[in-house]
Amino acid sequence: MMSRISWFGAVLLVAALASSPTSGQPSPPLPNRSDSLKFAAIGDNGTGDRPQFEVAQQMDKAHAAFPFELVIMLGDNMYGGQQPADFIKKFQEPYARLLAAGVTFRASLGNHDRPENVSYKPFNMNGARYYTYASRNVRFVVLDTTQMDAKQVAWVDAELQSAKEDWKICYFHHPLYSNAARHGSSVDLRVILEPIFVKHGVNVVFSGHDHVYERLKPQKGIFYFVSGAAGQLRRGNMRPTGETAAAFDQEQSFMLVEVVENEMHYRAISRTGNTVDAGVIQRQARGGAAERKTEHAREFALR
Amino acid sequence: MRTTVPRLATFAVEHLLLLPLGALIALVWVNTAPESYYSFTFAISFAVNDVAMMIFFALITKEIVEATAPGGVLHTWRRVALPVCASLGVSVVPALIYLRVVEALDEPVLSLGWPVTLTMDLAFVYFIGRVIFRAHPMIPFLLLLGIAADALAFLVLALFNPLRELHLAAGVGILTGALCIAAGLRWFRVRSFWPYVLGAGSVSWFGLFWGGWHPALGLVPIMPFLPHAARDPGFFVDARPDAKDALSQFELWWKYPAQVALFFFGLVNAGVPAGALEAGTWGVPIAVIVGKPVGLFIGAGLALVAGFHLPQRVGWRELAVGGLIAAIGFSIGLFFCAELFPPGQLRSEMRMGVLVSLVAAPLAIVAAMILRVGRFTRHV
Repeated sequence: MMSRISWFGAVLLVAALASSPTSGQPSPPLPNRSDSLKFAAIGDNGTGDRPQFEVAQQMDKAHAAFPFELVIMLGDNMYGGQQPADFIKKFQEPYARLLAAGVTFRASLGNHDRPENVSYKPFNMNGARYYTYASRNVRFVVLDTTQMDAKQVAWVDAELQSAKEDWKICYFHHPLYSNAARHGSSVDLRVILEPIFVKHGVNVVFSGHDHVYERLKPQKGIFYFVSGAAGQLRRGNMRPTGETAAAFDQEQSFMLVEVVENEMHYRAISRTGNTVDAGVIQRQARGGAAERKTEHAREFALR
Repeated sequence: MRTTVPRLATFAVEHLLLLPLGALIALVWVNTAPESYYSFTFAISFAVNDVAMMIFFALITKEIVEATAPGGVLHTWRRVALPVCASLGVSVVPALIYLRVVEALDEPVLSLGWPVTLTMDLAFVYFIGRVIFRAHPMIPFLLLLGIAADALAFLVLALFNPLRELHLAAGVGILTGALCIAAGLRWFRVRSFWPYVLGAGSVSWFGLFWGGWHPALGLVPIMPFLPHAARDPGFFVDARPDAKDALSQFELWWKYPAQVALFFFGLVNAGVPAGALEAGTWGVPIAVIVGKPVGLFIGAGLALVAGFHLPQRVGWRELAVGGLIAAIGFSIGLFFCAELFPPGQLRSEMRMGVLVSLVAAPLAIVAAMILRVGRFTRHV
């Protein structure tokens, strides 16, 4: 009970800091090296409402100083109508500047996305529900957790097995770990996917679905982020537990990430431009699950 | 003298107890220790859903095969025609409503689940029907409706299953081989059910599995070949212990193992976390509770226009209550959820929807009380 109360306190503190007069100032800087992989992460964004545009404006600002080349989309990229006009209102208009700057968006599907959206060119899914790509020393594996059939499970196992990059990052919509009240962890998917991730040395997993930001303590050596508030928000929905490393549920948010050799730096930024969490992850040692060493993040957490 | 109407309490104990028990355990387990629940049930799901459930579907088929014999509810096409026509309404209307509802709920991928709305749980429909109507022409009418609706649902599943790849030529070839074996056994007047089950049944199971259809239906095409009694003893009437025909022997041997299979089926398929009560959950209950009565009216109306007649003592009030009873999909509905959706949120939402649809049973009883039908009829 005490730990739950203390975690509530932590969330409130993060919220308070985020709205303090000093917030909005540059928070612990990302290395911003010219040769690193820089990307942003957004989830549950496609509302077409004002908060989505405000988050997108923060992304524009961030991009000016931190020129990320990629945006990973964690699903529910479109809510409601998904006609051509909706793609303009809920995607092309909010992210017009980023698109014009040549930033590549790579989407995963959420439960509100129509299956045919895999063919929408700016999502760069090339008609596939699940796919993989590499960028510098990172292998990204993008899954469709809305339809996690046996064929896809076999595919992800094979792709992760053959991946040779230093970093293996998976992203998809439904979080394997989440402490938000509305949805929480997708335990059924965790039972299927986690052993594969552990076996093949996945380093980091990004998900959405819960409309909050949450960073989890490493689970079986894997770092998990929930970033499902780039348009939607469920204010006050976090119920932090001992698994939670940091959480924010007071405003919409998105993430900036930079992979520099064996380090992955991250920042979660709110709709109003406040850094609500930041830190760096050391790449875990490769090998079987039993041999893997998990090095704790050096955190710049605001807690 | 054997009764054609089994005692309701005996029927409930022998046919309806273990499935809900398994479902109840699953619900408690998944909401208290989900990781162990999923680890266990994923490990046994193939054995339960694809193998053990073969017995359940075989026993349902056995009832249907016997029902085609003289005295059975399926004997003579004229008797069957009206419920079959009505089943089209009972199937089409809920499916259309479902598609509209999931669209309105902004859950587009759930539209794949429309075949779930076609299903009816024959045993539960029979039980609730008996509770309300006792011995009444609505009982065989509901059973016929359920058989026709489920047959249509399985046909749809065979044709539109997104999770299975069809290998039509190989599947049909193997299945034809199984039917030839069964026909040969019948030709040689084999009276034991074992060669039918182990020989033809195994080949049929493999044919369905390889062909991309559901192997749990492996014994369905084989059961009609088993020698059976000349007259139908009645739907869900247990075979006499001294019955000699292969179909009755099959039932005597397998009826309790089938209940064990149903227990595990409930355990494997009914475990839905409380968090699965999402917007999409409401698609199935709304579709079936609204759509089945409306569909039954429309289907029966079309049948009447075509010149068929409703059974005696069946009017619009009975149809309204019967439509609500028809909304109970339970076991078949859960089976379809597992077939149409892989593990994940959508499957959980659909399963939750099927469980919520059980509210149709008390609704039917309340409707019967209000409309004064069945046991609630006011005698002047």
